[in-house]
Amino acid sequence: MIEVPNGDLRASRVVADAATPLADALDRRLTGYVVLRPAEPIAPDDGAGVVTMEDGVPVVAYHDGTDRGGPAALGPLAGPGPYRAELYATDAAALEPLHSAAELRVDPGAPAEQVADAPELAARARERAPADRDPPETDPVEAFLDDEERVEAIKQRARDEAERRAAEWGFDEVVE
Amino acid sequence: MVEAFAVASGKGGTGKTTSTLALGMALAEEHDVTVVDADTGMANLLFHTGLSDAEPTLHDVLVDGGATVEEATYERFGMRVVPCGTSLAAFEAADPERLTDAVAELAADTDVLLLDSPATLGSKAAVLPVVLADRAVVVLQPTVPALSDGLKVQEYALSYGTGVAGVLFNKVRDGEGVAEQAERYFEGPTLAEVPDSEVAPAARSAGEPLLAHAPDSEAAAAFREAADKIDVRAGDGEAVADRFRSAVVPDPP
Repeated sequence: MIEVPNGDLRASRVVADAATPLADALDRRLTGYVVLRPAEPIAPDDGAGVVTMEDGVPVVAYHDGTDRGGPAALGPLAGPGPYRAELYATDAAALEPLHSAAELRVDPGAPAEQVADAPELAARARERAPADRDPPETDPVEAFLDDEERVEAIKQRARDEAERRAAEWGFDEVVE
Repeated sequence: MVEAFAVASGKGGTGKTTSTLALGMALAEEHDVTVVDADTGMANLLFHTGLSDAEPTLHDVLVDGGATVEEATYERFGMRVVPCGTSLAAFEAADPERLTDAVAELAADTDVLLLDSPATLGSKAAVLPVVLADRAVVVLQPTVPALSDGLKVQEYALSYGTGVAGVLFNKVRDGEGVAEQAERYFEGPTLAEVPDSEVAPAARSAGEPLLAHAPDSEAAAAFREAADKIDVRAGDGEAVADRFRSAVVPDPP
């Protein structure tokens, strides 16, 4: 587990998708962190994710349900929404211990791209990011595909949903 | 003889319409192909086929006393294309019951029926093409949200007795080995990895399918490779038509 510094709560709300708080953080030039908690967990280990920000640009990511950090923390956060989202402001210095952990760092656009499915927001975050940001070694998509348990959980949930809806929608006649 | 394919992705922006038309053009070299814009709420096939001003469209077929399916079918790029209009009023006026009849009519007289399906699983009408098709082609791009939604589409298809013809990866950047890694989670084979390029938006701007706009591009070659891997199973056209006709009627929008 990592230690997230206390911050001043700047916003707290339920949002339909993760793009809203990430865009909010970028627009506010937030230095601090965004906490994202999926309202409808997919896997039993779903918890909350933290994405720290410098000047509104994502720096590190951590997911507490799976205790994963960096690019691997993004897969567990990528759900259909809604999310409970909180924005906290901190001093840049308070984030330094977290930001110095290379394994927790993410590509500046990765949270928008891989969690929020918002490529334009990702491009804006990358544009704002300092030029000296090193790309992380792990790819979020590879990390997601390595997480067999999560992928199976997504598939199982879809099957359950499809079967429930078949009855609701009257597809029973065509569904064998 | 006919096999109906739902080209589906679960989310927008994966290049589903580009893929539908590219597969359609490639398959049309050997088969009689009909492409239908089954995404009646967010139609865009017309923009990819130079049919932006076409009238009538599928929307006109779906209203009481409207056009015939034949009138809304256009011969383009070696295929029969049934575009859908983009007017919200027309969408609201459309009677979903007529969609099943329209598609049934088309199914009776073609080899390959490609249904460009809605990029959502959020409603009964949106899921219908996947339910009705013989097999689905799942279109993905290498991002976590697209993969998650692609997995969902696959599981919906399988739950509803629809097979998976394969998985098509779009917008793949150099050095990405995602298809290989993802393959174990999908039922069908990887049909192709289509490189990310400017060719697709350029083709759309030109109002042409990618295979017509840039036939010598790497992307076009990948789509042809994908079509080659689809082994069309010729079913009984009348049986497919009957299935469409007897399908449950989606709720009005």
